[in-house]
Amino acid sequence: MGERPLDVLIVEDEVLLATELEFLVEEVGFHSVGLAMSSDEAVALACDLHPDLALVDVHLRDGPTGVDVARTIQNDCGGVALFMTANVKRLPDDFAGACGVIGKPYSEYGVKTALTYLTVCLREGLAPGPPPLGLELSPAYAERWGLNAQPHAV
Amino acid sequence: MPGRSGASHEMTDILRSERAAEELAAEHGVGDPFAAAIRAARMAMIVTDAHQPDNPIIFANDAFLALTGYHRDEVIGRNCRFLQGPGTDPAAIETLRRAVADGEDVTIDILNYRKDGTTFWNALNLSPVRGESGRIDYFFGSQLNVSDKKRVEFELGDARDRLEAAVEARTADLTQALQQKTALLHEVDHRVKNNLQLISSLLLLQNRRVTDPAVKNSLRGMLERVSAIATVHRRLFQSDDVERFDVSAFVRDLVGDMVGTARRDDIKVQLDLERVDIAASKAAPLALVISELFSNALRHAFPPEAMAGRNGEIFVGIARGEDEFRIEITDNGVGLESSASSGGFGLTIVQLLCQQLKARSETMPADPGTRVVVHLPINGGHH
Repeated sequence: MGERPLDVLIVEDEVLLATELEFLVEEVGFHSVGLAMSSDEAVALACDLHPDLALVDVHLRDGPTGVDVARTIQNDCGGVALFMTANVKRLPDDFAGACGVIGKPYSEYGVKTALTYLTVCLREGLAPGPPPLGLELSPAYAERWGLNAQPHAV
Repeated sequence: MPGRSGASHEMTDILRSERAAEELAAEHGVGDPFAAAIRAARMAMIVTDAHQPDNPIIFANDAFLALTGYHRDEVIGRNCRFLQGPGTDPAAIETLRRAVADGEDVTIDILNYRKDGTTFWNALNLSPVRGESGRIDYFFGSQLNVSDKKRVEFELGDARDRLEAAVEARTADLTQALQQKTALLHEVDHRVKNNLQLISSLLLLQNRRVTDPAVKNSLRGMLERVSAIATVHRRLFQSDDVERFDVSAFVRDLVGDMVGTARRDDIKVQLDLERVDIAASKAAPLALVISELFSNALRHAFPPEAMAGRNGEIFVGIARGEDEFRIEITDNGVGLESSASSGGFGLTIVQLLCQQLKARSETMPADPGTRVVVHLPINGGHH
């Protein structure tokens, strides 16, 4: 595709995870605009840089603040958040406005497949099919991207 | 009073006079076995006159006087509410008042007071006595001291309340303990998953730095093993039962991921997976065995230079036998002799873990290719 790469913000307090994730997102064709380790940093960077996608862990340096970060990015910064967390069961039913979740521990292949899939969703506004293994879409985004009637893969 | 019998007519006339009541009742009893029986009964009894203002007592037997401690003079001509005191339940008094007003029978346990101020529980029965016209002429009351029964009732009630409180407190304790345990389990689960992610990230990061193909290969192998364990943990806490582990669901996840990672579109995978649950404690070793065997087929059975445009196929089957699970991994590749299988470490892992699982693995030629079958005893028995 000749379009500009999508901008991604990584919100993760484990620096080794964040560093490796940055490599992965660049390999899939995203452009990493930065790394935030706390909720304040995340919101400041998101509202300043307007990334297309923010990858948000629930547990940040200042506690389990990732859910609020996702909501703020969605409501106030005009971005789309995607959770990447080991706490999938603790997310609110509406995913705090985020488009979905990748459960930890994820595999390199799982993240790449999920991000490639989301690239299409974000660019086209329509899902190319059911989400790949390891990615769960929020009910609101599944509907927005034309998947309302289809059960997603578990 | 029209319509009354002579006897009761006569009785009414006389009994209306408070002071005369006792004497006349005694006189009356001379030839009347019923009155004599009532006077001498062991149960306390009274009669009140419904026609006089405030329904006064006009007759009380000896048992009543013995029960209440009053002299007959102090009783006759008074409404029987003098038996009530500060400890008497107002609701019970209201029930009595209403029954009298409505002309109905009433049976009630009520706390009454003796002349000396001591209390007793009175099982009171009060019934209207109607004349032939249907009007109420008298009320007949009987009193039974049920203090002993009441005390037992109260004690039982207290014991029950104490027991209920104890059960409630214990339940609260247990509920709290369960909540703590669940929270702890979530916390541990969360940490295990994060640490597995951290280990994967470390291996991936180092793999980006090194250039030596042999080192890269070792790192990739370790990453695969860590991924297999990570997949186990993802699956383990997805279900509500953390004690059991669904092997077929795991194999589906693992195979999809490994084939995707290998980027071998020319290798097709065929699955025939019966649902098989094993103990969670066996999940990680079995997952490593399957991962190792599948990886072996994926990496070594189909060297790209030997494919010549044709497709390779790997079959993974899980079946439940009588006393063992049978896990089969078959490829139609180049076969053991011609494969460049690294052999060494991967096969050592399989052998060691099969020992640990008390499982037996067989490797045989599949013409073409290789078939490996792992026999895992269902109840951990020996072969």
